Formats: sequence, structure tokens, C-alpha cells
Amino acid sequence: MNEDYLWDKSGQPDPQIQELEEIMGTLRYQPRPLVIPRNLVVSRRRTYFPLLAIAATVLLALLAAGVWVQVRKSSKSQPQQAKVPPAVQGTTPSPDVAVKDSMPANKPAKKESTVASNVRRRHNTSAIRQREREEAFAVKEQLMLALRVASEKLNLAHRKSQSTTPANQIKNQHRIG
Amino acid sequence: MSATLDMLQISPQVDAAEHSPATTVEAVLVRAVLEGDRDGFGKLYGLYAPLVHGILLARVPRAEVDDLVQDIFLHAFKKLHTLRDAAAFGPWIAMIARNRAVDFHRRSRETVEINDDLRGSDTHESRATEILELIRNLPEAYRETLVLRLVEGMTGPEIAARTGLTAASVRVNLHRGMKLLRERLGFMEGL
Repeated sequence: MNEDYLWDKSGQPDPQIQELEEIMGTLRYQPRPLVIPRNLVVSRRRTYFPLLAIAATVLLALLAAGVWVQVRKSSKSQPQQAKVPPAVQGTTPSPDVAVKDSMPANKPAKKESTVASNVRRRHNTSAIRQREREEAFAVKEQLMLALRVASEKLNLAHRKSQSTTPANQIKNQHRIG
Repeated sequence: MSATLDMLQISPQVDAAEHSPATTVEAVLVRAVLEGDRDGFGKLYGLYAPLVHGILLARVPRAEVDDLVQDIFLHAFKKLHTLRDAAAFGPWIAMIARNRAVDFHRRSRETVEINDDLRGSDTHESRATEILELIRNLPEAYRETLVLRLVEGMTGPEIAARTGLTAASVRVNLHRGMKLLRERLGFMEGL
């Protein structure tokens, strides 16, 4: 087979390929005019980049606004959570809590529950935080103590094992030998 | 614009690979059509109709090919604005033709082509139909290249330039396809 002739019709013609060309040529495309209907119009090229850029900017702005609103809400809702314990205290008055809250003893408990001001809330939260801090400190101290005890015990065990290891080794060597 | 087109000497034998993408005949014509020159599309049709015809002939019944060629070019005219690289008109319309052939088989029921005995045409044409059927039964990669070479009379470099395939793959497809076709033709009388 003449590859050059098959590729670009150059070189010596291949009789078999020529015969095939002749036969298959009967099926060749017969030119026909293309009739484009008058109402058929080619659409203008559209560039979507500016639209996409605007959409992306709007989306980003909305996202940023959403995040900002969420942050604002969460920062506002934190003091409201701290408001819950005093309301419970108001319904079930307890003398211990009343003392700890450093409120005047002669003030009626009912009034405490109805009157809510930011000053009081801040005061309560700071008191709770201080108590929590004290508790956390106590827990930390206990943990440190437990760690120290455990560390001491480990040291002791380590020392014991080191003092026994050489003898064992010698013993083992002796046995092997 | 028409002066530019004349300078480029439009002919079906133009090798797109010889020009830079911005100045190929296809690119100039596509831009002209997008600017409202409807005649420019007629020239693109003249250049690429044999390619589309060959691609379809390798895939769909012969009786459907001519109508499908027209449909494809009308579709291409409507969607020309979606063509990003104006110089790639050939590979683009070739892809449309391949997709349309797939759609044709998906939508249409199983069809049987009219036998040549019933058609009562000359022996050359009946032989051609038989060989075309053999080519259609070859692996897909070889069908299109062989039809474009043997039926439409394109050379390997022209096939590569118009379809967007590499010259190397067209060469391989032609060589292997022809080898297989010869083997299958060995079972036929005559050739």
C-alpha cells in the first residue's frame, strides 16, 4: 500500500485506492444552495463577564452583611442568656443567692424579678463570672496536685526500676553464659 | 471586508494551519457573519458542507444526509455567537454534526436503507453503498477519516485542518482504517 498516496495523494498512485476513490466518489457531496430564512438572525455575541462580576459583588456584599448581622446578634444574645438565672431566682427566692448577689436585704424579692436593668445584669454576670473563676481555679489547683502526685509516683517507679535493671541484666547474662 | 476575503482567496483547498488563527478564512468569515454579513455564511457553507456531509455519511442513512446538512448549517448560523474561537469553525461544526448524528439515532426508530436492487441504480453506486456499509462497520475512529478521504476526496492534511484532529492521528486512522477495509473487501468479489 502506498502510504503517501493515501495520505496526501502524492507519490505513485495506488491502483486499489484509486479504484475505491472512483467508486466512492459517486456518493460525494452534491452542492445545494443553503437557504437561510429571512427571519433567522444570528445572535449578537454576549459577554457575561460584567454581569457575573456584578452578581459576584452583590453576593459577597450579602454574605458579608449576613455574617455581620449574625455576629451582632450573638454579641447581643450573650447578656440575655445571663438574664435567665435572676428570673428563676425571682420566682423561687433563695436567701443564699440574695446574699451572694449583694442586694439590699430589706428589698422585696418580687420587685427584684420585675425590675430589670442593665446595671444589675452586668453586676450579676460579673458575680457569676467571679464565682466561675474561683471554681475553675480550685479545679485547676486540684488537677495540678493530682499531676504532681502522679509525677512523683512515676519518678519513684522509674528510680526503682533503674536500681533493679543492672542486677537483672547481670543475672541474665550469667544465666546465658 | 469583501476585499479582505478576496485577498485570502477562498477555496475549499485552503489549509487553515498555514495561517495564524486571527487571519484564517474561517475567522474572517465568522467575524463578517457576526457583523451581519449573511453572504459570508454562504461561503462558510461552501467550504464546510463536504466535511459535514462526510461526517454524516459515516453515521446516518444516506437518504437523511442532505437534509441534515442543511439543518446543521442553519443551527450553526443561529448559534454562531457561541463560537469562542472564530478560527475553530471547522472543529466546531464537525462536533455539531457528530452530535446531530447521535441525536438522529436516539430519536429515530430503527431504519432500513432501501436496497440497491429496489433502487435500480447503476452498479457503481450500488458498489459504493456496499463499501460504505463496510466502512460504517469499522471502528468509529476510522469511519469518518476514510469517508472524508475516499468519498469527499480530501487529503490527510485537509482532514486534520478541518476537523481539528492532529495530523498524526489522521494518518494513523487512515492507515489502519484502510488496512481493515482491504481485509474486509477481500471477502467481496470484484475488487
